[in-house]
Amino acid sequence: MLIGNKYISVLRMNWIQALEYRANALVGVIAILSGLFIEYQIWSLIFETKGYTTIKNFEFDELIIFIFLSIIIGQLKSSWHSSGEMIRSIRTGEINKYLIRPVSYFWYHFMMFIGFNSLYYIVYSIILCAFVFIFPGMIFTTISSLLYFLISLFISIYLSYCIYFIMICFAFWFGEVRSLVVSYNLAMLILSGQYIPIRFFPEKILNIINWTPIRYLVDFPVSIATGILPAEERIPGLIASVMWSIILTIIGTIIYRLGIKDYEAYGS
Amino acid sequence: MKLMVLKYFNLWLAFFKNSLTRDMEFKMNFIGDLLIDSIFYGSMYFFWSVIFSYVDVLGDFNQQAVIIFLIVMYLTDTVFVFFFGANTFTLNTMVVKGELDFVLIKPVNPQFFLSFRYVSSYSIVSFLILFSLLLKLVYDYHGFISIMTFLLFLLSFILGILIFYSIEFIISCLVFWYRNFSVGGWLSSEMTKYSRRPDSIYKGKFRRIVFTIFPMAMITSVPARILIFGPKLDLILSQFLVTIVFLAIATFVWNRGLKLYESASS
Repeated sequence: MLIGNKYISVLRMNWIQALEYRANALVGVIAILSGLFIEYQIWSLIFETKGYTTIKNFEFDELIIFIFLSIIIGQLKSSWHSSGEMIRSIRTGEINKYLIRPVSYFWYHFMMFIGFNSLYYIVYSIILCAFVFIFPGMIFTTISSLLYFLISLFISIYLSYCIYFIMICFAFWFGEVRSLVVSYNLAMLILSGQYIPIRFFPEKILNIINWTPIRYLVDFPVSIATGILPAEERIPGLIASVMWSIILTIIGTIIYRLGIKDYEAYGS
Repeated sequence: MKLMVLKYFNLWLAFFKNSLTRDMEFKMNFIGDLLIDSIFYGSMYFFWSVIFSYVDVLGDFNQQAVIIFLIVMYLTDTVFVFFFGANTFTLNTMVVKGELDFVLIKPVNPQFFLSFRYVSSYSIVSFLILFSLLLKLVYDYHGFISIMTFLLFLLSFILGILIFYSIEFIISCLVFWYRNFSVGGWLSSEMTKYSRRPDSIYKGKFRRIVFTIFPMAMITSVPARILIFGPKLDLILSQFLVTIVFLAIATFVWNRGLKLYESASS
């Protein structure tokens, strides 16, 4: 109970901090709408030019809704702020304060990550609720799809954090891994399916992606929400994503422990 | 006037030498920044290759034209980063910490100092590769390279970068009104995202908007159009006009913002 309390305090602290920067949420909404608008322009031109009625079983409206949700989920799982803080703490030696306190560096920053993004969770939830009422029957057609979506969204955020954590731990050896994190963020904008559904990718690349956790970052939760994923594939998908979470947590823990052994606290 | 230009040119050279020395001290950052660029280029190329697996032309841009557009876009990004990339959004930190005072008391134009202080020297590597690639692609597309077209392209390319700079600088100046505008970089990248798509995807009134009051098509599409479809005087003239207007707005916003600056915590 006490262990839970201290991490919830971290969450609350970051939540209060996030509320001070309300402009972030406004820019987040602008980012979603402008991203969606550009994709709308491109895909409407493609549908018009070729006279398509569907592409890979997506009708135009379904595709735009899929991209809309993908951009939202893509933003919720990304971490520019928290990862930057973590890299800086390793480089400058600030991490020392976590080593001498009874807190886990992994969980402390996970709560920071959730806390910092909490404002987005609220704003985007409001957008999604409004969407469900304005366009009924387009997403969350059943209560179970909403429930599965929420679980898969949580797993997506956790998986994403684990990947960031592993990359950040390389700072113990290389000092500065900002480029690695920025490169990952840029690549994931496209590869996770944030702007084009991964089903549209060439078969070879799709086969590789299906063997990685990338599929569970954006595509899986969005496919559940839009009802594209058949109901019988939800449970196996959830099991696979949980397995990936366990694997990445173990890898992260091992790399962190090896890193701490090599850590020489240069900056402190 | 001539002396002033010389003075600022020498000052920029000093900035460049200083930045180069700094960059050479952190060689991993140098390599890392090149990695970021290559991932960015690769992901954009992949994005368009997926799009072109479902369509042959986007408006008047076919796949080959879009590749030339992409290279022009990468070049714009590289040259922008070389001159301004490390500078525009340092203004936020400076205002928050009150460090802007030290810029304002220097005997140089503070907007010049803020805009050019750090040069991202690693961009030279990207620039050389991209420029050679652009020459090859244009030659493959037309079967020749017209010197006149290329000179007009260079003029349009420089104007595009100045528009890009003006927009980023105006957004970074919002810190004077919001006291802390750390999301300025994000907002700017969302705004300039419109310049990273060929103008032919925009239709109707919005198409007119991206060529005038929100001149995103002027940043990359107009220079790319000159290379692909040949120069159009009306486009270059309107780009010139838009550049003058946006540079004037940037200076106006900067001067208005400075009046609000209260030297936060110095």
